[in-house]
Amino acid sequence: MTIGQITVRNVSKRFRLERNRPSSLKEALLRTGRRDIDDFWVLRNVDFEIEPGSFFGLIGHNGSGKSTLLRLIANIHRPTSGQITTEGRMSALLELGSGFHPDLTGRENVYLNGAMLGLSRRHMNDAMDKIIDFSGIGDFIDEPVKIYSSGMYVRLGFAVSVSVDPEILLVDEVIAVGDEAFQHRCMDHMNLLREKGCTIVLVSHNAALMGDLCDTIAWLDHGRMLELGDPAPVLEKYLDHMRGGGTTLTTRD
Amino acid sequence: MLKLSPAAQKSANLVYHFAQRETKSRYKRSLLGWFWSFVNPLTTVAVYSFVFGVVYRASPPATENGNAENFGFFLFSGLITWNLFTSIVNGCMGWLQSVSDLRKKVYFPTETALLGGAASNALQTSLEAFVLVAIMAALSNLSWTVVFLLVALLCTIAFGLGVGFVVAIMNARYRDIFYLVGVLLNVGFFLVPVVYPVSFVPEQKWGLPIRALVEWNPPALFVGIARDGVYFLEVPTLGHLAAASAWATLTLTVGWTYFRARSMDISEEP
Repeated sequence: MTIGQITVRNVSKRFRLERNRPSSLKEALLRTGRRDIDDFWVLRNVDFEIEPGSFFGLIGHNGSGKSTLLRLIANIHRPTSGQITTEGRMSALLELGSGFHPDLTGRENVYLNGAMLGLSRRHMNDAMDKIIDFSGIGDFIDEPVKIYSSGMYVRLGFAVSVSVDPEILLVDEVIAVGDEAFQHRCMDHMNLLREKGCTIVLVSHNAALMGDLCDTIAWLDHGRMLELGDPAPVLEKYLDHMRGGGTTLTTRD
Repeated sequence: MLKLSPAAQKSANLVYHFAQRETKSRYKRSLLGWFWSFVNPLTTVAVYSFVFGVVYRASPPATENGNAENFGFFLFSGLITWNLFTSIVNGCMGWLQSVSDLRKKVYFPTETALLGGAASNALQTSLEAFVLVAIMAALSNLSWTVVFLLVALLCTIAFGLGVGFVVAIMNARYRDIFYLVGVLLNVGFFLVPVVYPVSFVPEQKWGLPIRALVEWNPPALFVGIARDGVYFLEVPTLGHLAAASAWATLTLTVGWTYFRARSMDISEEP
């Protein structure tokens, strides 16, 4: 496998929704056998490959499973069946302040995030000024991140993710939180990373944005992949579909 | 310099991070800081010495040279091991819980939080051990057998982590485990010969070989080995050493395997 490649092989993900799930041992012991378990398949048999250096988009309605797929690629959850392999240093921006510990200061969180990506303290020291500068956090870098505004959270998160030289970058719409100026800088930076050969996976339901950025788009609907290919035709079908009333029942079994 | 694989390097960085965080946060906003880590064991030793040595007039177990024959030192040499064990077991549950929210948002090997916490506890224990050894040296009750204190502490760390890995995962699901473990450790403190020598335990009672049961359970073995090395200045029996290292290795292996099999599910706990 080459650096930056992502392979998703026949992946399904089931979440168990347990009603009245026992939360203590006593309950668990007293109620043997009578557990209401609802299986909910978020993804079913999703299978594709992302080429190194490409800009890959995942599009779909709310609850289509696109964010879950991204979390599986990020190794946060384990697929119920199938296999996902990634090669290269991966940085993920999945939600507001992902990877930040609320009680630690911005600076400590930068070190923690670096450590989670396998980067030494020395490397993070070198990158620190760049991160503070890019995020525009200023003196707040030494305050606990729990007092940050949502904009500051996301700016610092983005600054860290891009400054660690990722070979794979996973982004889940979070950039939409920043203001216009910041969004522009994010776009510029993602383009810069792409020129360096970084694989980028972006999740969004903003078709216009996806059309501008992506090389390839996958369209997920109710956990299944309906289309995969060049942005223009996939987005056209997707938009037609959304205009035509949103959800299909045909794909559900 | 030692060259590690990228995954191992990443884990090593994280262990260091968590160890540092645990160490820093322990006495954050306290004026006396590390001093507090000595206050607790020292007051325990003082109180027990008073109750058992003065009130009950229990004479401390005799040593060869008699230089450090004092109930407090006898107790301290056992307590240091027992406290390390309980702090790791209790700590593991807390350390896993404290990173579980983070783990729902980003992947990292969760065992690093437990290993880092344990490293921080080991550091604190080594300070206590340093105090103990310094006192023993001052009383000229020191010999090369002090290495068995180190052996006992290493076995305790391995055994404590093995137990800690299991209870931490179980505690992520059922918070009762935390309280249950607390009760068991309280009971354990009196079942393990920390405040009394194992020779005080009757060999047979209620048809059970209770002295053997007390003597050969893992924390008691570690306490005994530490005490042999630093209080009695004797070489522990080969049987004790073999049993202690077997318990430590086996428990760590089982705990680690269980943890590795279950730790990915942490991100799906509600």
